[in-house]
Amino acid sequence: MPFISKIQRQSDYSSFNSSCPIVIDNGASYFRIGWAGENDPRVIFRNIVQRPRHKTTGETVTVVGDHNPMLLKYFDCTRSGPRSAFESNVVYQFEIMEYILDFGFDRLGADQSQIDHPILITECACNPVQSRGKMAELLFESYGVPSVAFGVDAAFSYKYNQQLGICNDTGLAISSGFTTSHVIPFINGEPIYEACCRTNVGGYHVTDYLKQLLSLKYPHHISKLTWEKVEELKMEHCYIAADYASEVQLFQRGDEEAEEKTRCWQLPWTPSPVEEPPSEEEIARKAALKEKQSQRLREMAEAKRSSKINELENELKGLEFLLDELKDTEDDEILSFLASRGYTSKREVESAFAKVTQSLRKAKGEQVPSEEKVDASAAEKYYLIDIPDDELSAEQLKEKRRQVFLKSTTEARQRAKQKRLEEELEKEKEKKLEEQKRLENPELYLEQLRAKYKELSEKLEQRKRLKTNGNHANGNNNVSGGVGRGERLNAAQRERMRLLTTAAFDRGKGEDTFGQRDEDWQLYKLMSRDNDDDDDDKPDSDEAELARISSRLQEIDPTFFPGSESGASASEAPRFRPLTKEDFQIILGVERFRCPEVLFNPNFIGIDQSGLDEMVGVSLRRLPNWAQGLEDKMTTSILVTGGSCLYPGMAERLEAGIRMIRPCGTPIKVVRATDPIMDAWRGASAYAAAMQFPQQTFSRMDYYEKGEDWLRRYKFRYTI
Amino acid sequence: MEREVLEAELVLPTHMKFKKIQMYDKYPKGQARGRHWKHLKQIIQAENYENYPPHLPTYVNIETPPSMHPGKKICDITGFEAPYFDPRTKLRYANTEVFKTIRSLPNDYVQRYLALRNAAVVLR
Repeated sequence: MPFISKIQRQSDYSSFNSSCPIVIDNGASYFRIGWAGENDPRVIFRNIVQRPRHKTTGETVTVVGDHNPMLLKYFDCTRSGPRSAFESNVVYQFEIMEYILDFGFDRLGADQSQIDHPILITECACNPVQSRGKMAELLFESYGVPSVAFGVDAAFSYKYNQQLGICNDTGLAISSGFTTSHVIPFINGEPIYEACCRTNVGGYHVTDYLKQLLSLKYPHHISKLTWEKVEELKMEHCYIAADYASEVQLFQRGDEEAEEKTRCWQLPWTPSPVEEPPSEEEIARKAALKEKQSQRLREMAEAKRSSKINELENELKGLEFLLDELKDTEDDEILSFLASRGYTSKREVESAFAKVTQSLRKAKGEQVPSEEKVDASAAEKYYLIDIPDDELSAEQLKEKRRQVFLKSTTEARQRAKQKRLEEELEKEKEKKLEEQKRLENPELYLEQLRAKYKELSEKLEQRKRLKTNGNHANGNNNVSGGVGRGERLNAAQRERMRLLTTAAFDRGKGEDTFGQRDEDWQLYKLMSRDNDDDDDDKPDSDEAELARISSRLQEIDPTFFPGSESGASASEAPRFRPLTKEDFQIILGVERFRCPEVLFNPNFIGIDQSGLDEMVGVSLRRLPNWAQGLEDKMTTSILVTGGSCLYPGMAERLEAGIRMIRPCGTPIKVVRATDPIMDAWRGASAYAAAMQFPQQTFSRMDYYEKGEDWLRRYKFRYTI
Repeated sequence: MEREVLEAELVLPTHMKFKKIQMYDKYPKGQARGRHWKHLKQIIQAENYENYPPHLPTYVNIETPPSMHPGKKICDITGFEAPYFDPRTKLRYANTEVFKTIRSLPNDYVQRYLALRNAAVVLR
């Protein structure tokens, strides 16, 4: 029965006599309006207002109550959510209240120039006079209501059930509403507000708690967990455990019984289509496409090369022509001639010529003759080296130093070259050896290679892990990152911090023997910040070796994939698995009774007040002196009402709880109202239809003459 | 406006025949920006309940006092009874498995769990 709304416009408004009162149950969750004396309210809707913007016209409109959510697609609701006129159970935003009353009267069919009917409207127990006064003002001023009466919903509900004979005229009403829960004692049919008590917990908190818990448990389905849906889940599945501790133990053990009690909500889910491997044609087509593209690239490169060659040839021709011309010109005219061509000397032209020839050769792909011809005339070049210093002038000395430097560098270069050559030879030899080994026993060889690869990669992995973080060790590889409380330093950094701290605090304890051994001084090396990277050359060689082996393996072993064999360490990266049906299930286990439990233990949600069962005790203790001795009479007639008492197990739990706080042998009887949701309106309707009702109302004149203080003490009699 | 919206009478008309003062007369500039109403706290403060005789029931003094029993400690994640408390995250937990999960929870989730029982760190 979630979200019962009746918003059809009524057509028989004019058939009611102007003395017939309109009855409004203004609850924090639902607004119910109807005619006195009738059994059911005419119009029911959620007590909320939304002011979305129309998407095409851009005007802001007012939408009251809950409507077909499909229609809201024409509106932009992102900027304002549903708003309520209530804070806790007190009306405080009268602008919203006015929209709601507008809508209520409109749907009741009001079509005269004012609302010419007395109004009975509910309010919370001990409503602050400011709220009560504003409400009266609104009804008088905006709607022209002749007279108004205020009553408490729980009292009406109790009275209604009393008339039905369900409870006695002296008793207790436990009313758990949307935002608050009340316990109100009744003596001879009149509520005793001095002894009532209120806890600020209600259906709203239960739904909110459930919603939060589910969205924390299933962050991926957060969009599915709308307020309306969660409220529906709550109404359908939540129940009150007879004893929270034993019920939860049932689930903790994972008994069969617990499994039976677990509910599952399957979200719409369609298995993702299995991806078929691409067909041969597809592969061929793709290959052809790739080939075509590379062909085009090659053509482009060719064209570029030929155009460059062309260009260079042209330049060469021009320079040749210039040189020819230079030969023909007279010596004294050469300079001016060159200047006209943009050159300063003949030398320059020649060097440009040489350069262009060389680059042309390069472009054509011919071998460039190496410039470094080994000079046979080394001795000639370094003629000063062998001469002792004191035989030389300052100039020559300088020259000699230059020559020495030049000679040593060329020699070093040659040596390095030689070494490289030797290394290459060595490698070649090794390769040959390996090849030989392979040919001798290919399987063994492969096995060895693999083992070596594994060993090396593990080693590297280990090193990397040590270097980056120790986080993997505690399974703290969370995806969100940036949490690692306290574990921000890697092993090397931690060691360094340890050394520093011991160095800082290790003073004056015993004899200072630091420095007597040579190893002591190594400490400073460890402490210095840049020691982190000085062991880098070794992993480098390891890495090179690893790369070599993996490439070799790839050559000879078709089943080998680099990285795949490093096993467990590599598989820590999030693995993707196909989503299954179970990923789209929302499981309600402990939540089913954990959420409504907040009514009995408000401290679950951080509200420091007693729960429903203890409230009864509080209320009985608050009874005035003259009412002492009535407790036992009261506990035999406990009525539970309000939307939040619909959970299965409510009455039993309350009875058990009250039995705990009352003396042994106290008669206790807990009954549920006939209709916990509607009874308040029905009671109010019956009350307003009574002959004496007009005496309980006050008019606009009364309101303005008697003033606020009178309104504060305004309290009407429920027994008339 | 689309036809189906009009048919459902979704939008509240601005002019109501039965009203003596229309919405647009009362609020000529449309919805007033900002706050022009009193919050419940301010309402209560304006009532000056402390000047009233103590036996008179008021909105404030009918509130239920805190419970006489020690509050039940339940695991913030599972709802089981929680004998343990994690000093790092401040969460209560029932067993080692839950402990593992709470240690791997990102910080905002920890805070949201704490906020459920009104124990989150609120930065102002």
